[in-house]
Amino acid sequence: MSSPSENMPVTVSVPRSKPLLLRHLPYFIGAAALVALAATMQFDGYILNILMQATTFAIAVFGLSVVLGLCGQINLAQAAFFGFGAYAVGIGTSDYHISYWFCLLAGCLMALVAGAVLGMSTLRLGGHYLAMVTISFQQIVTLVMINAIWLTHGPDGVPRIGRPDLFQSSQSYLAFCVGMLALVGYFVWHLPDTRLGRAMRAVRDNELAAGVVGIDVFRTKVYAFALCAVLGGLAGGLFAGGFAYVSPDQFSFAESIVFLTMSLLGGVASPIGSAIGTGLLILIPEWLRFLKSVPGLYLAIYGLSVILIIRFMPDGIWGFVAAAFERWRAQLKTPPAAAALQLKPATVGGDIVLEVTGLSKYFGGLKAVDGVDIAVKRGGVHALIGPNGSGKTTTLNVLSGLYKATAGKILLDGTDITTMPPHQRTAAGLGRTFQNIRLFRSMTALENVEIGAERPGNKMIGEGGDAALTERAMEALTFVGLGGRANELISGFSYGHQRLIEIARALAANPTLLLLDEPAAGLNSTEKLELHELLKRIAAQGLTILIIDHDMTLVSEAAQHITVLNFGRRIADGESMAVLRHPDVVSAYLGSE
Amino acid sequence: MDLALQLLFTGIGIGAVYALVALGFVLIFRATNVVNFAQGEFSMVAAYLMVVFAVDLGWPYWLSFLLALAGMALLGVIFNLGVYYPLRHRTFLPVIIATIGASILLANSVLAIYGPQPQVLQGWFETPGIQLGPVYLDSQYLLIIAVTFALVIFNYWFFEKTLLGKKLQATSQDKEMASLLGISVSTMIMITFIYSAVLGGLAGILVAPVLFVSIQMGSTIALKAFAATIIGGFGDVAGAIIGGLALGVIETFGAAYISVPYKDGFAFLVLVAFLIFRPQGIFGERVAEKA
Amino acid sequence: MKLTRRDFAAGIVAGIAAPHIITSARAQGATIKIGMCVPATGPAAEQGLWAQNGAKLALAAVNKAGGVLGKQVELVIEDDQTTNPGIVLAFSKLAAQNDIVAFLGSIRSTQVHAMAPDVLKLGKPVMIGGTDPALTHMGNQWLFRFRPNDSYSGRVIADYGVKTLGKKKWAIVHSTDAFGTAGGKALASALEKLGTPAVLDQGYANQSQDFTPVVLAVKQSGADILGTYFTFENDIGIFARQLRQLGVNIPWVGSPSVVAVSSTKLAGPALFGTYGVADYAEESSDASKSFGKAYRDAYKSAPDNQSAWPYDAVTILSAAINKAGSTDPGKIREALLATKKTPGAEGEYNFDQNGDGLHGYNVVKNDKGTIVYDKHIDFND
Repeated sequence: MSSPSENMPVTVSVPRSKPLLLRHLPYFIGAAALVALAATMQFDGYILNILMQATTFAIAVFGLSVVLGLCGQINLAQAAFFGFGAYAVGIGTSDYHISYWFCLLAGCLMALVAGAVLGMSTLRLGGHYLAMVTISFQQIVTLVMINAIWLTHGPDGVPRIGRPDLFQSSQSYLAFCVGMLALVGYFVWHLPDTRLGRAMRAVRDNELAAGVVGIDVFRTKVYAFALCAVLGGLAGGLFAGGFAYVSPDQFSFAESIVFLTMSLLGGVASPIGSAIGTGLLILIPEWLRFLKSVPGLYLAIYGLSVILIIRFMPDGIWGFVAAAFERWRAQLKTPPAAAALQLKPATVGGDIVLEVTGLSKYFGGLKAVDGVDIAVKRGGVHALIGPNGSGKTTTLNVLSGLYKATAGKILLDGTDITTMPPHQRTAAGLGRTFQNIRLFRSMTALENVEIGAERPGNKMIGEGGDAALTERAMEALTFVGLGGRANELISGFSYGHQRLIEIARALAANPTLLLLDEPAAGLNSTEKLELHELLKRIAAQGLTILIIDHDMTLVSEAAQHITVLNFGRRIADGESMAVLRHPDVVSAYLGSE
Repeated sequence: MDLALQLLFTGIGIGAVYALVALGFVLIFRATNVVNFAQGEFSMVAAYLMVVFAVDLGWPYWLSFLLALAGMALLGVIFNLGVYYPLRHRTFLPVIIATIGASILLANSVLAIYGPQPQVLQGWFETPGIQLGPVYLDSQYLLIIAVTFALVIFNYWFFEKTLLGKKLQATSQDKEMASLLGISVSTMIMITFIYSAVLGGLAGILVAPVLFVSIQMGSTIALKAFAATIIGGFGDVAGAIIGGLALGVIETFGAAYISVPYKDGFAFLVLVAFLIFRPQGIFGERVAEKA
Repeated sequence: MKLTRRDFAAGIVAGIAAPHIITSARAQGATIKIGMCVPATGPAAEQGLWAQNGAKLALAAVNKAGGVLGKQVELVIEDDQTTNPGIVLAFSKLAAQNDIVAFLGSIRSTQVHAMAPDVLKLGKPVMIGGTDPALTHMGNQWLFRFRPNDSYSGRVIADYGVKTLGKKKWAIVHSTDAFGTAGGKALASALEKLGTPAVLDQGYANQSQDFTPVVLAVKQSGADILGTYFTFENDIGIFARQLRQLGVNIPWVGSPSVVAVSSTKLAGPALFGTYGVADYAEESSDASKSFGKAYRDAYKSAPDNQSAWPYDAVTILSAAINKAGSTDPGKIREALLATKKTPGAEGEYNFDQNGDGLHGYNVVKNDKGTIVYDKHIDFND
């Protein structure tokens, strides 16, 4: 269903300006220092092995921080992907004497392909399927590792695994791994600030809203999953070279759980958290050995900590620290001044922006919407009203693509959008807000609106660079009166303000048509007045609005045209005052039966 | 032919085990939209409780059985309060991870207390089985099959004919609406957890005489049972039973005619095939249109 | 329940004692040190304790008899966590201590495989208990085995079945893990050499819930004797019961797990009359009997192979160092390989050039639930 549109945000690399690189210079200097330290310091074999394990595991856990932390998808097969890399390097260098580099690359590719295929086959389904399928995949990989003795040597494992000529000594190999860790770390650290990264965060925070603001949810998830797999493969390849021996039990389901716990403990959202979690879970077992003298006791504590972390420290150790830091920084950072917001809705078709004909949506035998026609005039405010259960919200959900229409046709500015998925409708110029606010809660107001501004086909952001996006988002926030609080987290805003941010998010995308789903719901009277003013200012710029609400004052004052639904059918349509006096409408609202 | 008949019986027997555990999955999933990855450990814990009461303490079988089920009900309460309830407003992901944590906690607590040696638990019957023509029918498997079908009927009656069952259904379908109608949602969820812990425990006690009592007994069965629920159609009671039986038969015949070592692989291959070609399962997922 | 509390206490003592031993060792420097990798934690923690018991028993005897090269011998114990990465860490920790002259490795073959590259790099002798034949046949001259390898168990099973029981139509059932595959292969080739190739060679995956397909395959093959390599006791239990239920009552000679205490308990009557090979059988020789007595006196519990091989390893290693007159690894190696006709708890040690010390097994029988010694079969090649 997702034929990619031309300008979807797919690339990971975003053109970076020089100052940014300069700003990140300390990171690279630090990384180089670490590599040098790893290369020159004299460790005994034990410390060396611990460091090697921690370094390679951390890369695999980085992968989880992408899929779980950034994109909110579960992967219980990271040890299997880790095993792909490890076995590729192991079997390749030891049995077939192929170059280490080639094997490492092949291992990454295998993991990538496996991850992508696995993702594509299941990511459309809910999360519990994904959990199950990744476990199944993990089990099958383990079975093959054990039973395909001709290839994998079975449970004996693969001995005498080679390393590249350049890094023959353990010390230099460790330095190489630390170098890789630093590179991957840099990449994962900056991923959230790229388009792909933002898309992943949006998907994690609210899939529905992400689709509606123009993100290809499925594709984003597959990318995240494949990325996680490839990092697992890379880590496994490095691990195999480091330990010169691999066997199936190192890549079992239990190891996948260890990776997951490492990720959760440190904090799934950040590579720093991953590194902390990995380091702790490799060191803690060394410190708490005495607990392991009773079989099971240690793992029991492991299980208990998973529950406790999830319950009390959902963002892990680093998340806890970072949140405090973020609050402190938000207070210091003064948002940039913004120019006035320009709303220039695209015009392709004629006088009618949205033309709905014969629209129906059945749930089994229930006809929630039944043959409804709506015509929304360009530049006007059109209201869709009706009592509870009349089919208003269903209509809106069909319009924005959350439900598939059973019958009927939807034309937006002359384009048939009836069968498009949500993100493509958004690309076609549809913007919407939700009755129960759907913002990406872990992001700042500005970041939320930036995601909206990123809408494919948005003509108001020039080439679509980061600077342009930020500028556009600031304009939209300033337009709704919240420019001064752009860098605060969503959770800090009042309900009414969150609604305004949602409207700003839709406006930043410069839609052709704005759908507002009960914008006045839950607002107090002052906030309602503000909202009314805002709608007037939006309409004054010529943007077409389709509004759904109960609030008769708002509807009657703001809308020039009203369509009334009852029991899934249109019972009245026309100029506001006339419709509101229509006897059918009156009886529908007051109940004449 | 004789061979096939024997395999069919065994397949249905082992399938009934999957089906029993799958039932517990489905109930919790319907009530909370969450997959409980510790469901298999419920079975394991109950089997160990039986060993403690009936073997170590030497109490009568029926008393031990009741006490073990009572213990499971208690575990259901603790599980709900400790794992699910605090996270009920979060997305499914933290809950899934918490149940995985709980499964590790339960399995390894039992390991720490009881050690890794598998234990023996006698079955209900004195006679191990009956020879019916060319086919040998293990009495414990016969019991498992009988209980599975009795539970299908009981569940149908309970959910469709009793007020409590209807309240539970209402809760699982629309929590907000249910609470508007004066149903205590948290009580309903608590009852669901108790019921599915008891069901899981019952499954564990029934299979213990066949598979012995070991730490891993729950987790392997639970994975297959989960696969069965997906094959049957998630959230559907009849689907879980049919899926479980189908899986048991496929697995047994696959092992006999294709490969024994890859036996466990068949279940997962069938599962993946279903996920790709018919993700709604045989009966179709009930929750598909829940937006 | 009682068992666990004892374990717990012992574990804590071991945990507290281990660092203490290391620090005291550093302080003295006037002892001969032997490193030992042992599972103090993880699934095999209990067996690890038995291994330590065996080694310490031998250590006490050696030290009482004057030690090695005039110095007392000391064990430096490191926890291998029952995992492959664990033993690599443990061994690297021990290897970093230059004054350790030799090591005791693991009883698990995969763990020995895991540590083998590091052993080769270090170039010091390591005593092992893993029974995968490949371990001493992969060009690693520093591994010395103190248990008979699986090629001998296969040969003993075949020899006993064909020559003693007089059966020729064999069905082999084995797990598909390292142990089972290697064992199944050894049994199959031994049978071929005896001119009675197996009519069925059937693998199964560990932790199966049902063995009906396997049992039916055995039944259909028309075999008159069964040879098995099972890894887990609950698998044996389920298999044995289904075997009897489906009417297969042919003689059965299996790897050690068939006669293990827990399988006997799980399967009950289904295993009556079966034969198993055992590397340690208390009644098999005077040396085994005296080890058994010493162990019972010291630890108030029955000894088994987990403690017998470390006992032999420490005893014979100490004797070899004494004979070599030096702690030079090469000289210890030569002295170990020159060890012939030396009785031990596990049997008579005759080291070959590969580093295999033992070349035969005991056959024991499950006589209505009690395991009795039947016969010792040794090979000269």
